[in-house]
Amino acid sequence: MDLEQAAGFVLEEGKRYGIDSFDLIATDSEDIGIEVFKGRIVSTETSRSRGVGIRVLNNSRPGYSYSERFSKEALSQMVRDAMDQTEITDPLDMELPGPKQLAEVDLKHYNPALEKLDFAWMRELGLALDHASWESDKRVENVPHVGVGKSSSQSLIANSKGVFVKKESNVAYLGTGLVVAEGDTKKMGSYYRSGRDISQFDPSYIAKEAAHRGTELLGAKPLPSGVYTIVLGNRISPQIFGMFSSPYFADAVQKGSSRLVGKLGNEVASPILSIYCEAHTPDYPGSRLVDAEGIPTTARTKVLENGILRSYLYNLESAKKDNVLPTGHGVRSYSGRAGTSFSNMIVPFGTKTKEELLSSDSHCIFVTKLEGGAGCSAVSGEISIGIQGIYYKNGKPEHAVDRITMNTNYFDLLHKIQGISNEYSDSYSSIKVPDILISEIHVAG
Amino acid sequence: MNQSNIETLIDAGKKRKADFVEIYEEESRNSSISLRDQKIEQSLAATDYGIGIRLVYGTDVLYAYTSNDDQQHLLSLIHLLADSRGEAANNSGTFALPGDVSKYSFSKNIHDPRKVPPFRRLELLQTADHIARKVSSKIIQVGVSASDIVTNILIANSEGLWVEDLRVRSRFFLSVTAENKGERFVASESPGALKGFEFFEGLAVEDIARKAGERALFMLDAGYIEGKKMPVVMGNGFGGVIFHEACGHPLETEAIRKKSSPFVGKLGESIAQSCLTAYDDGTIEEQYGSLKVDDEGMPTQKTLLIENGILKAYLADRIGSMETGSPRTASGRRESYQYAPVSRMRNTYIEAGKDSLDEMFASVDFGLYAKRMGGGSVNPATGEFNFAVEEGYVIRNGKISEPVRGATLIGKGHEILPKISMVGKDLELAAGTCGASSGSIPVTVGQPSLKVDEILVGGR
Repeated sequence: MDLEQAAGFVLEEGKRYGIDSFDLIATDSEDIGIEVFKGRIVSTETSRSRGVGIRVLNNSRPGYSYSERFSKEALSQMVRDAMDQTEITDPLDMELPGPKQLAEVDLKHYNPALEKLDFAWMRELGLALDHASWESDKRVENVPHVGVGKSSSQSLIANSKGVFVKKESNVAYLGTGLVVAEGDTKKMGSYYRSGRDISQFDPSYIAKEAAHRGTELLGAKPLPSGVYTIVLGNRISPQIFGMFSSPYFADAVQKGSSRLVGKLGNEVASPILSIYCEAHTPDYPGSRLVDAEGIPTTARTKVLENGILRSYLYNLESAKKDNVLPTGHGVRSYSGRAGTSFSNMIVPFGTKTKEELLSSDSHCIFVTKLEGGAGCSAVSGEISIGIQGIYYKNGKPEHAVDRITMNTNYFDLLHKIQGISNEYSDSYSSIKVPDILISEIHVAG
Repeated sequence: MNQSNIETLIDAGKKRKADFVEIYEEESRNSSISLRDQKIEQSLAATDYGIGIRLVYGTDVLYAYTSNDDQQHLLSLIHLLADSRGEAANNSGTFALPGDVSKYSFSKNIHDPRKVPPFRRLELLQTADHIARKVSSKIIQVGVSASDIVTNILIANSEGLWVEDLRVRSRFFLSVTAENKGERFVASESPGALKGFEFFEGLAVEDIARKAGERALFMLDAGYIEGKKMPVVMGNGFGGVIFHEACGHPLETEAIRKKSSPFVGKLGESIAQSCLTAYDDGTIEEQYGSLKVDDEGMPTQKTLLIENGILKAYLADRIGSMETGSPRTASGRRESYQYAPVSRMRNTYIEAGKDSLDEMFASVDFGLYAKRMGGGSVNPATGEFNFAVEEGYVIRNGKISEPVRGATLIGKGHEILPKISMVGKDLELAAGTCGASSGSIPVTVGQPSLKVDEILVGGR
């Protein structure tokens, strides 16, 4: 059975079992890729993975199941499994949507030209990138990661009320991670390009950028502990904002996992900060015309505007609980339960350049690397994390810094934002945040 | 798959001149039930199924996986992989497995979770929720889940290996959120074991829930430590995550073979003080990271990593062993059929020493007692690590003082190891999940309490 046949069979089975209400997610994806090390293709991978997951609402009680087998027996068993679960779950006040007109926007998530890319193309590009990585700087000591590949997938959302939406997408990637060394110091620099425009896949440029990201940190030393002005570079500001996306989800607010409870209409951030969810921007990875529960998305949801909290993000369940319309932010994989997510999280540009931000205080740390996220909690807002970057004095780079930590709270940090640059990083990401200037951050060194 | 189909696949790989061919088939039955907001919000029972095919040429690995077991489809994947290298076919012989099957199954103590109706877990979840909320009215949320997975695997290879293994693992997860005037703190517990439903039957749920609730409440009012370098006494049990991340990963041949570890070429050399001995042991009964055979079909073993400060071994899978010359240690692991196996840890711990916790505190004028660690991560190539302290206390004049939150430990693994100067008697193991290139796998971390002479503590 292919994806549509499997979905059709499950819809029929659901009706046959007399289930009140149910929906399903199905995906079928293919990936191929290679890894290169020291001029050799050391690893080649090809995969075909698929699965269908069902959520039933039997007398309003939810039950989940999924199957990676597409035989009639396995899919029928999956429906029975989901029904069995409804015997113990608590009722859920929620109604599935019927079919709706979707926006007519070409999201540009599929490029037929990528389907022609084969192992020969990957081999040529991977070897070229490996070579370019070794040649990119005389301080390159090792190139442990060079990868190139592509993936394509079909996904399908359907429900018992007639929603049936299919989507096709593909993407390719090329990147390197290299180690540079000087004296006793070693630093890693990585740079990956992904997307559907493979004219951007220039091995020489990618290698040089990765080398730059490593070499700019050579000779790094700590700074004395104290309170500093910092600029979160646009490579890592999306990481920070991404780690703290869940406080804006209505289900987190409703279930006590967000400090933004009761703050709608209040000032929760600096007036220069806005956060939008944009779902219809072509060629952004998170763009979608319909969410994972069949609700049409809107082009822009203003979550935070000029520091004022304007909206939470809703899925079907949380919207019903707050008695509002769902905002089209339901998310779900075939093997998981429904949750909430930004489509694309966008912080609009500010008015200054990165250089102007770095000149705005006589002492400033430009943060270009975060060391893990274990010290960050979206519930408490705690940020306690190792950082690396460049120390700026009077707007000029003084020296690289490492072995220091940044300690603050996300909800305090939002109020301390003093400037936003006019530039995003060029990564293919669903989170776009420019460089961010923040005052009075505790740094330990 | 039957033997004939597997032999045909291995034969096809051999005919495309692969030096080694491996077929991995896996079917998992997983179930989970979760409670949040005092409601059973999800109950799931499902089936994962797939096949992984590995062709090895020298030490070059070609891997394909699929959830479609159609024989022609599987053969097409083998040819696709061989084509990617430009390998022509030859007509050499027909492959036949010798017929010796190593078949591992549950021990007689296992209570098969597939035969346990989902409502049996309900009481467990509701008890945890009730006990945690009873700690204080400031407990505003409790999330609790119980999950188990029964995995049936078959591994066959061109060396004639045929191994079948039936594995069962269970995990309990509890998170408790306390709130006061807008401030929130989350404490969590997540025990797990290589056990069936008897794991839940024997779990001290009330004790776990009460302690988590008390910790969330206690740490809610904690202040911050002043960030700087200082001595740190690390608590036992999950404190072992720091050794796992900062030293364990760089000892895997996956890092060694790419010269991407500070421990390359250090076998036989002193890398720590003589008080430190460490193992990675896949054989410990019922531990979360234990295995009868690794995911390449080799019976697991206890591997001595560091003995009295001297580096003794790396953790090697098949390819890592071939490339580094280190003996295989049955460390080939993968999350599922969707990953080729690479060298990974199993149950990794520092052996008990001779020091007491009080002796460690007494040796510190000002420092941090990191009683409970949160998660962490490491860059094996540079050794740079970052760990969160979930429950910490200031040590002042040799005694435990006020609690502190939001502390982070950063440094480099190979630089911290020699600074471990005291090792306690109180070895404890704890379940965890480790994410790396072959996916997220169950592991155990552990250590006795330790004293590190100096480490950078992030604070305010």
